[in-house]
Amino acid sequence: MLYIKLFWSFVKIGFTSFGGLSMIPLISSEMISHNWMTAHEVSDIVAIAEMTPGPLGLNCATFAGMKAGGLLGAFFANMGALSPTFILSTLAAMFFAHFKDSKYLNKIMIGVRPACIGMVGGVLLQLSGANFTDIVTGILGIADLILLIKFKFSIPKVLLLNAIAGIILFRVFEF
Amino acid sequence: MIWRLYYQFLKFGCFTFGGGWSIVAQMKEIYVDKQKIITDEELLDITSIGRSLPGTMIGNIAMMFGYRMAGILGGLACVFGMITAPFIVLILITSFYAAFQNNLIVASAMKGLRCAVAPIIIAALFGMIKGAFKLPACYLVALISFGLFFYVSCVWLVVIGAVCGFIICEYYEKTNKINA
Repeated sequence: MLYIKLFWSFVKIGFTSFGGLSMIPLISSEMISHNWMTAHEVSDIVAIAEMTPGPLGLNCATFAGMKAGGLLGAFFANMGALSPTFILSTLAAMFFAHFKDSKYLNKIMIGVRPACIGMVGGVLLQLSGANFTDIVTGILGIADLILLIKFKFSIPKVLLLNAIAGIILFRVFEF
Repeated sequence: MIWRLYYQFLKFGCFTFGGGWSIVAQMKEIYVDKQKIITDEELLDITSIGRSLPGTMIGNIAMMFGYRMAGILGGLACVFGMITAPFIVLILITSFYAAFQNNLIVASAMKGLRCAVAPIIIAALFGMIKGAFKLPACYLVALISFGLFFYVSCVWLVVIGAVCGFIICEYYEKTNKINA
């Protein structure tokens, strides 16, 4: 059953992601291995999710769910992605004092954070391979990196510039 | 109360772009400064737990805050309130995306947008690196996880990371005690 598969995929993604972009490697590998999306489409969701309000992970869930199984798919994907929230956060709120300085959680995070960085490095290779296919796209990527890091441009601003650059470069000049 | 929470978080959900920090800022403004329902410290505690639990940080924060206000139903009201607007917006955009994906102008714009994704991830990576390598062995964990990315499911990579973190900390504590 597609909906159950989608739900379960996002349960896995939800329980093993820790904030923001750490969800992307998980989403990428789940979506591509199930043939629900291509590497291009994964890049597209990241761009779209960054441009729209709401948490990145849930936006990805909505987009991926819609693509794979329509409106109901989107709903189940969201519920899956929110499952750690429903279960763990409720427990945390009930036993707040215990969670507040949990040594176990801190110890685990010491290893999980670098593991996430390794994974993000991996997904970076995966998506770069799909997106930078020639010199023009490569130069555009490097320009973005400079704008983001050196000039501290906000992400929506960079995305807007890229959409314009895309239309000019690939449509008007047909690179 | 439940509806008030839902409505308030519906409004919060409309004004978040990217990270969830803007919701925390809005919560502080309304619940700490204006209504004085919770203190700055309590909000900070909720935030730091929400961050360290798996899943969406802001969903976790909304759930814990709502639970404090009105039990489980309150928590659910906050979470569903917060996701309502983004959910509808994304549904519309995805339908639009599916319909216009093959339009030449939209396709060119998307091709440009895709080029920004890797740079955005790299920029975020710089932020993540701060505070991620507390002990030297953490570099090894990152390297292993990077090396296995194309061969092992990401779920296992996180589990391996968690186990490594635990072992590293235990080992570090023991050797430190011996030295001391």
